[in-house]
Amino acid sequence: MMGKMYRLPDPGLLIGGSVALLVLVCGIFAPWIAPYHPNDQELLFILAPPVWADGGSMAHPLGTDSLGRDTLSRLIYGARTAVTVAAAASFGAMLLGAFFAHLAGYFGGWVDWIISRTVEIWLSFPPVVLSMLLITGLGIGIDKVILAIVLVDWTRFCRVLRSEVQVARGQDYVAFARLIGFSHFRVIIREIFPATLPMLITLLSLQMGISVVVEAILSFVAMGVPSDVPAWGQMIADARIDMYYAPWGLALPIFAIFLTVLSFNLFGDGLRRTLDPRHTAQRSA
Amino acid sequence: MTEHDILRIKSLEISLMTGHNILNGIDLTIRAGRIHGVIGESGAGKSMIGSAIADTLPQGLEISRGAIEFDGLTLTDMNARTRRDLLGRDIGFIPQEPMSALNPSLTIGHQVCHHLARIGLRTAKTRQERAVELFTEVGLDRPWDLLQSYPHQLSGGMLQRVLIAMAFASNPRLVIADEPTTALDVTIQKKVVELIARTRAAHNTAVLFITHDLQLAADVCDDVSVLYAGRIVETGAAERIIHAPMHPYSRCLNLATPNLSGPKAQLMILPGTMPGPVDRMQMPGCEFALRCPLAEDQCHSTRPALDGVGTEHKSACHWPERTGLITAVEAPTGTAAGRLGEKLVLRATGLGKAYRQHDWLGRVREVHALRGLDFDVREGEFVGIVGESGSGKSSLTKLIVGLEDVSTGVLELVGLDRATAPRADFFDKVQLVFQDPQSALNPRRKIGRLVTQALEGRGGAYSAATRAELVKTLLAKVMLPPEVADRFPDQLSGGQKQRVNIARALCSNPQLLIADEIVSGLDVSVQAQILELLSALRKEAAFSLLLVSHDLAVVRHVCDRTLVMCKGEIVEQGPVEEVFGNPQHPYTRDLVAAAQGPTVSSI
Ligand SMILES: Nc1ncnc2c1ncn2[C@@H]1O[C@H](COP(=O)(O)OP(=O)(O)O)[C@@H](O)[C@H]1O
Ligand code: SF4
Ligand SMILES: [Mg+2]
Repeated sequence: MMGKMYRLPDPGLLIGGSVALLVLVCGIFAPWIAPYHPNDQELLFILAPPVWADGGSMAHPLGTDSLGRDTLSRLIYGARTAVTVAAAASFGAMLLGAFFAHLAGYFGGWVDWIISRTVEIWLSFPPVVLSMLLITGLGIGIDKVILAIVLVDWTRFCRVLRSEVQVARGQDYVAFARLIGFSHFRVIIREIFPATLPMLITLLSLQMGISVVVEAILSFVAMGVPSDVPAWGQMIADARIDMYYAPWGLALPIFAIFLTVLSFNLFGDGLRRTLDPRHTAQRSA
Repeated sequence: MTEHDILRIKSLEISLMTGHNILNGIDLTIRAGRIHGVIGESGAGKSMIGSAIADTLPQGLEISRGAIEFDGLTLTDMNARTRRDLLGRDIGFIPQEPMSALNPSLTIGHQVCHHLARIGLRTAKTRQERAVELFTEVGLDRPWDLLQSYPHQLSGGMLQRVLIAMAFASNPRLVIADEPTTALDVTIQKKVVELIARTRAAHNTAVLFITHDLQLAADVCDDVSVLYAGRIVETGAAERIIHAPMHPYSRCLNLATPNLSGPKAQLMILPGTMPGPVDRMQMPGCEFALRCPLAEDQCHSTRPALDGVGTEHKSACHWPERTGLITAVEAPTGTAAGRLGEKLVLRATGLGKAYRQHDWLGRVREVHALRGLDFDVREGEFVGIVGESGSGKSSLTKLIVGLEDVSTGVLELVGLDRATAPRADFFDKVQLVFQDPQSALNPRRKIGRLVTQALEGRGGAYSAATRAELVKTLLAKVMLPPEVADRFPDQLSGGQKQRVNIARALCSNPQLLIADEIVSGLDVSVQAQILELLSALRKEAAFSLLLVSHDLAVVRHVCDRTLVMCKGEIVEQGPVEEVFGNPQHPYTRDLVAAAQGPTVSSI
């Protein structure tokens, strides 16, 4: 046997994790970090350029929008919306998906048949269309957006985790646990769930990125959060009209979305690599 | 015979990035048409030799010295392209792990035909026909369906055969076979060995045959090299090395292998483990010295050279002539036979099992896995079950432990009817030792929690102290040191894991223990340890054992009686010596003949 070699933490995990953390901090501490209230209007400074462009000033480092609202503050408060939706929706989708995945993968048979068919039918609707349909029915609001994402995306968790559960289910230690009289519930919690946990965490962080995008799309078409709550999608929609002479108003929120999604994905990918036992296990001769 | 050398390995050295050597000064030559075996326990570096030739060394390893010549060309100097062209066409390679060699997202047919296209088969039709022909040769059923299957739909043994078929497709001049038959049954093993013999006869193919199975090496190979801790310790004609070795290590391996005939002797158990690459650095003398029964002071200080001890026979030992002094201990006669209890722990009458298969239209088809079994097991009796795969051995064990339900007949266990008594009544009395410790031990539990896992289901309050005490007793029973209790399964060797597996089954003091192929895939030396452990436990005779094995010698070594199964039926049963010594049923005769060695006609 060879000695374990010292391994540096995965770069994706490190970079993705720190950016994601930054976005999270912005979201949580928005009122303390943001220089202005996001809805405060300063009509003297309409469409002010950012500080590095001609005519920019330190008063509004990233400029203002067509109503004279501070872009930096709106970005920071937008992060709050994005993070809330991402966290709550991803958790909800995970809970729902993981629950059915464990049922289907563990019990198999007709339980699996019903759950798998349901997932397939669910997946045959384009996700964006499905969430818009849901919002039309539910009305707008942060909670509605969260609910819509949960109802659309739980299938993603269910499908991937189900096969993970099936793999663990096939292991002999699960059969052994049954032979010594563990109940099904106990087997799932003690023997199966720990094996699917790494995949679950990974999916969760990837789902966060997806939720951010979905929230932005819904806000962009004014089907997401109410208009008095700042959101990145909304900022993009607002900046569209003036995009030729104030391109920064459009570019900055897009950049924020891009950065956030990228960081969640890097983080998730890094996690997957770090937690994958096949990656860590070194075969000897 | 003046055949030229096909493969010539010269003082090959493979090292880790840290500078520790995996292989040391390997010299090996194979002439055209010869089969050269490499044997030794796992970790000795057998696969590394194969990987070095096939250019598939794992990350972080490199050839630090020496050269590999193939038919006059130096492989190690060649550029990657020419080398790749050579591989697959002139050199066939059968890797140890078939799963990792195939792409999981492509069909078998796609991958095999791609390979056939590479070696020059033009049309899709000829490729498919050749693939089917090759599959048939290695004993794969329904070859046409196989082309459409994905790797994960096949068992390990089937994948192994697909790779064997691919390796021989181009009639290469050299085939490297890394444990090609380990995952296969005796009967299939025989087919593969015959395939190798046929190809050799027809195309003068040379084979580098890596295996840990001595008996197989003796039957298949012309020459053998014994590898220990990265060095060749003995090399020469297969017959001599297996049956009249001149190196203590080869002798120990030989004595650790149970045999099917002759007097029953206690198996040789080597103390300790083979030193790893790091430990070897601190050993100026013979690497085997710490475990060698003949070691003297000189062995620890100076390393013996690989010197000639006969015609084309070399041994790396200071005193090769003393090898014969190592002898086996006679097994104590009249074992547990007199101590068998009167009570039956298991009685099967007309036992049968039918699986219902539904196709996608919902039509039901019945597959009879077991039919009309009548047998019993007495208290303290060790009974073997032999038969090839698919004969129903696993189905029977599943019925007994209750993972499947009885379809017909009666199965009485510890005085209760399996079909009607509540499941919970059997939990403590009947236990199963699984075949593969890797899959049977939850990698996220510590050993201490694994061996006493049976207590967790009981609800009864066990104090941490009682549990710790029990862990210690159980580990002592299987001869493991108490400190392993705090480790995870991945921190143990294969043999240690298998002991944990056994200890765990003994936790609830079962009356009947079922062991499904628990020594297959283990090294000879580790297998000897487990078998001797079973023999020792048998003296206490606290439980009855039902031992499933494809290896008749293993059953003979451990059991009192044996059942022979064929196509879901018991075709013969009786005391081991009688059944294997004087088989009555033609199927048993075939099994015994196959186990005594497939006869490969050498030139
Ligand atoms: N779940 C199952 N469904 C259908 N057939 C099965 C199933 N399990 C086993 N069989 C069939 O039962 C027979 C005996 O198999 P098995 O008990 O696995 O034998 P062995 O242990 O000797 O390999 C085989 O022909 C196999 O195809
Ligand atoms: S050199 Fe010494 S230790 Fe090594 S095999 Fe020979 S007798 Fe044993
Ligand atoms: Mg089997």
